Amino acid sequence: LQDSNSSNTAQGSWGYWGNWGKSILSSASATVASVGHGISHAIEKAETSLGIPSPTQLSSEDRDLNGGKTSPTKEGESSSPVLGALGMFSTITNVVQSTKQGKTVISGGLDALEFIGKKTMDVIAEGDPGFKKTKGLMSRTSTLSQVLREAKEKEEQRTAQQVTKDMEKKAHYGMLFDEFQGLSHLEALELLSRESEAKVKSVLTALSGEELEKLKLELEEIKEAFSLVEFDDEEEEEKKEHEELLKELTAMLEELHVSTTPDKLVRARKAAHECIAGLSCDSSAPTQDAEKEEGKESEPEVVNTESKEKTTSVEDIHTSAIRSLAELTARSIEQFHKIAALVLHSQEQEAVALALIRAKTLLRMTIMLCKEVSALSKQFTSCLTTVGVKEKPEVLNPLITGVFLEASNSASYIQDAFQLLLPVLEVSHIETRMNTLQ
Amino acid sequence: VKSRINNMYCMAVFTLNAKMATAPYNYSYIFKYIIIGDMGVGKSCLLHQFTEKKFMADCPHTIGVEFGTRIIEVSGQKIKLQIWDTAGQERFRAVTRSYYRGAAGALMVYDITRRSTYNHLSSWLTDARNLTNPNTVIILIGNKADLEAQRDVTYEEAKQFAEENGLLFLEASAKTGENVEDAFLEAAKKIYQNIQDGSLDLNAAESGVQHKPSAPQGGRLTSEPQPQREGCGC
Repeated sequence: LQDSNSSNTAQGSWGYWGNWGKSILSSASATVASVGHGISHAIEKAETSLGIPSPTQLSSEDRDLNGGKTSPTKEGESSSPVLGALGMFSTITNVVQSTKQGKTVISGGLDALEFIGKKTMDVIAEGDPGFKKTKGLMSRTSTLSQVLREAKEKEEQRTAQQVTKDMEKKAHYGMLFDEFQGLSHLEALELLSRESEAKVKSVLTALSGEELEKLKLELEEIKEAFSLVEFDDEEEEEKKEHEELLKELTAMLEELHVSTTPDKLVRARKAAHECIAGLSCDSSAPTQDAEKEEGKESEPEVVNTESKEKTTSVEDIHTSAIRSLAELTARSIEQFHKIAALVLHSQEQEAVALALIRAKTLLRMTIMLCKEVSALSKQFTSCLTTVGVKEKPEVLNPLITGVFLEASNSASYIQDAFQLLLPVLEVSHIETRMNTLQ
Repeated sequence: VKSRINNMYCMAVFTLNAKMATAPYNYSYIFKYIIIGDMGVGKSCLLHQFTEKKFMADCPHTIGVEFGTRIIEVSGQKIKLQIWDTAGQERFRAVTRSYYRGAAGALMVYDITRRSTYNHLSSWLTDARNLTNPNTVIILIGNKADLEAQRDVTYEEAKQFAEENGLLFLEASAKTGENVEDAFLEAAKKIYQNIQDGSLDLNAAESGVQHKPSAPQGGRLTSEPQPQREGCGC
């Protein structure tokens, strides 16, 4: 890495990273597209063949590199081939490229990429300025669940064909996400969203004059509340206790005026954290504060790393990470789906201002869930770094990269699911308006 | 000690997961089912019995829709059933109608001990007919067949209703498990038969069936297009 710092002066301080990003783009997307290998494989290939810096180093040294940064990536730029590197998301890339708008699902994904591993992902995105970043926009010609389903099917095929021991151990995010019914809830949410959208359109065409203008303005206001602001994941948040999270989510659901509980979601989060605690990685890891807290809960610091390395392999931690991310994401989508169903059926006389309040609360919830995903991935990767200290980089790096990438996918699904709620709030607002007029 | 236990728990999950990752994913079709009918007729219990082989004594009201999946075998073909268990409460009716779209099979359930749930069938049937495609297989299920003493709807009249409307029919019990398996299987057999004789066009939007490319007998190499809808779907 020292070497790289000196060699990249010609290309600007981000040159080295830029190359890394570009290499992954071309090589990984080619690999995935042609052979259809899994994510780890593709990245591994890209990494080993191109001598990119280790993700471990990237994650620990990004601050230094960032020092002399003059943002080379414009806000509006994002990339599609990046997604080739996401393994299962090679399908997404195709979808994006085949739609005229050129901005499906992915766009949301890039927000998330930035969110999770901001610096790393910026650079990957630098590789292709062809796609404009738009937040959480769904394309008309394909749906998120369709894209995910296709991706999952590819994984299934691969798994069905390759029954080697090695393959068995690999964690498949898409399949797990489906197993936790994430795909089904997403599909159901999409159905509700599209029906609502159609209703909104038909109402708007039926109205005219002042009435229409007024309603349009109100809807615009709700829509604005749905635009994701940049949120900073750099600020180290205190790790929330489960009870605290439960309380916050419950309060949000009350603000939303929906009678449902966040129990399942909180349980999934708890299970993930218990799993990390069970892996009890050494506290020399970067996120030692978080780990210490976990440590307190389970046992004082008597554990020694040596014995743990024998019991938990890095592959196991990786599997556990992917599984936890898939579950937490599925539960988040389920939560959004339930909210949509309850908002739509709601029969009580609602205040006109409620839709806007709901929009703002949902935005906060989305950010909170994305932060949870981010925090979880950081804990797992730091665990990987600690436990895998003796592993070869070509074994460890793809695993770390894999966790970061799936975490970014998770965040993008959550954000896209959030966007699906907009028509639902709009239709509910229109109904409230109609009631007050009568 | 606790961390050790946690660790073991994680390991158990890994092993389980590794096993699940291979075998059950080898299926040729996905069928979407919906379960509909009045509140309290036992829709969620039927699903639970079918997927978990257990009776769920007290089951909370379903919000919107819940899901279950199981892989079954019909004529040597592995089929994954993706089952949408809709809320029966009247107040959710408008919402649950959205979920019918693209169902290959519908389980229309009433409670043999409550006549009102039987009387509402025509309304459920209207929804099912209007909101699914003409090839959607509908099976009528009289649940709670174990409560013979409290029977309020005879087998014969329900059978006749089914015949008049071209529905498959079974009486079942989510409690004892009687006929539960068959209810889901009969519908699947009928759907599969429709595929075989060509009356169900897999290329049609909203057939509710997805053919998997890995199917032994070959088939198209792309996944089924999702329903594409324009305009008002209210």
